[in-house]
Amino acid sequence: MFVVEFITLLLLISIFAGVFGSLVGLGGGVVIIPVLTILLGVDIHFAIGASIVAIIGTSSGAASTYVKDKVTNLRVGMFLELGSTSGAIIGAALAAYTGSASLELIFGLILLATLVPTLMKIGEEIPKNPELKGLSKRLGLTGTYVEKDGSLMKYNSEKPVEGLAGTWVAGILSGLLGIGGGAFKVLSMDLAMKLPMKVSTTTSNFMIGVTAAASAGIYFARGDVDPLIVAPVALGILIGAAIGARLLIRSRNVTIRKAFAVVLAVAAVEMILSSLGVSV
Amino acid sequence: MNLKDPEEMNVIIGKVLRYGVILSATVVILGTIGLAISQGSSDTSGFLNYNPNTVPHDGLDVSLGGLFNGLVSYSPFSWIELGVILLIATPVARVTISVLLFGAERDRLYVVITGVVLTLLLFSMLVTPFIPGFHA
Repeated sequence: MFVVEFITLLLLISIFAGVFGSLVGLGGGVVIIPVLTILLGVDIHFAIGASIVAIIGTSSGAASTYVKDKVTNLRVGMFLELGSTSGAIIGAALAAYTGSASLELIFGLILLATLVPTLMKIGEEIPKNPELKGLSKRLGLTGTYVEKDGSLMKYNSEKPVEGLAGTWVAGILSGLLGIGGGAFKVLSMDLAMKLPMKVSTTTSNFMIGVTAAASAGIYFARGDVDPLIVAPVALGILIGAAIGARLLIRSRNVTIRKAFAVVLAVAAVEMILSSLGVSV
Repeated sequence: MNLKDPEEMNVIIGKVLRYGVILSATVVILGTIGLAISQGSSDTSGFLNYNPNTVPHDGLDVSLGGLFNGLVSYSPFSWIELGVILLIATPVARVTISVLLFGAERDRLYVVITGVVLTLLLFSMLVTPFIPGFHA
């Protein structure tokens, strides 16, 4: 394939990945990795390096809109980053001593299992609002955002410790495998903290850039961030994230939840297949 | 600009992210145009060789000196690398600004929280790559 063809093809695919990644808070690696390895025959290490860049691009690109429009909950995001960054360091340290295949299988199965509670509340537009008390109150984990019809949506959260534990697991996964953290972040906020779906995905989107940046140094130093691959990926992702961010503001929570369920299923299957030696 | 107004924080953080993204994209675009002009009709097979036995695996010089030389001689790869470094630096800038903004709000709890996050982030980015046994 010619360089120009390669760049054009990857740019278009990355735009698609950026749209999806910014809507569901997962960063687009789920799309980028299999496309690079299966369709374009790129080595998995280069694919993971590109995925790290894609995650950072989706995160910053979409968050600039989400933060300005106040859908992202900054305090929830910054509190939970304690879990994701410390987990990422532990994951990176564990990577030397654990076979990644068995862990990938375990995490893949856990992700698959989380499809059950996700599907059970698939039609839920707004969660039952918990009372703000205890640590959540002290940390100020509450917020408001403007819905697409102009109404002001006020929400509280609960179980901050469980949420922090979930994002810690997300961080370990990111540090260990370079991928997969976003899903656990969204699930922590959705299932444990009972935040509205849009707040969960956009706050996850806000956080994943930091988690990915934490491990970007090593991928860069190793030469896994190949310029020919990451140039179209970064540009496409940024374009896609800008489009996705505008779509989310106008979408219903139910729509975002359905998109998340689909991507969650794909991510779980990819991770299980990869652990079984099928290169995706 | 009233830094004590929590609403301002969203505006400022939004701007930090936007400017970081625009700057990085501009540099990546410059590099990509250069790449398309100089190597556009070459075959990709010459560029995508992953070599597990050498570091860096793609055979490109990722040291600061190598990057600088590449930028000065307008090597498209080096310009793309610079753009990617700017993209990676954007979340770091965002966390740093958050510490300062919570400081301006006199919100001690969140100064500590974001300060710890920044420390962990910098430790992971800059220190762990040099600790043997990390990132095997």
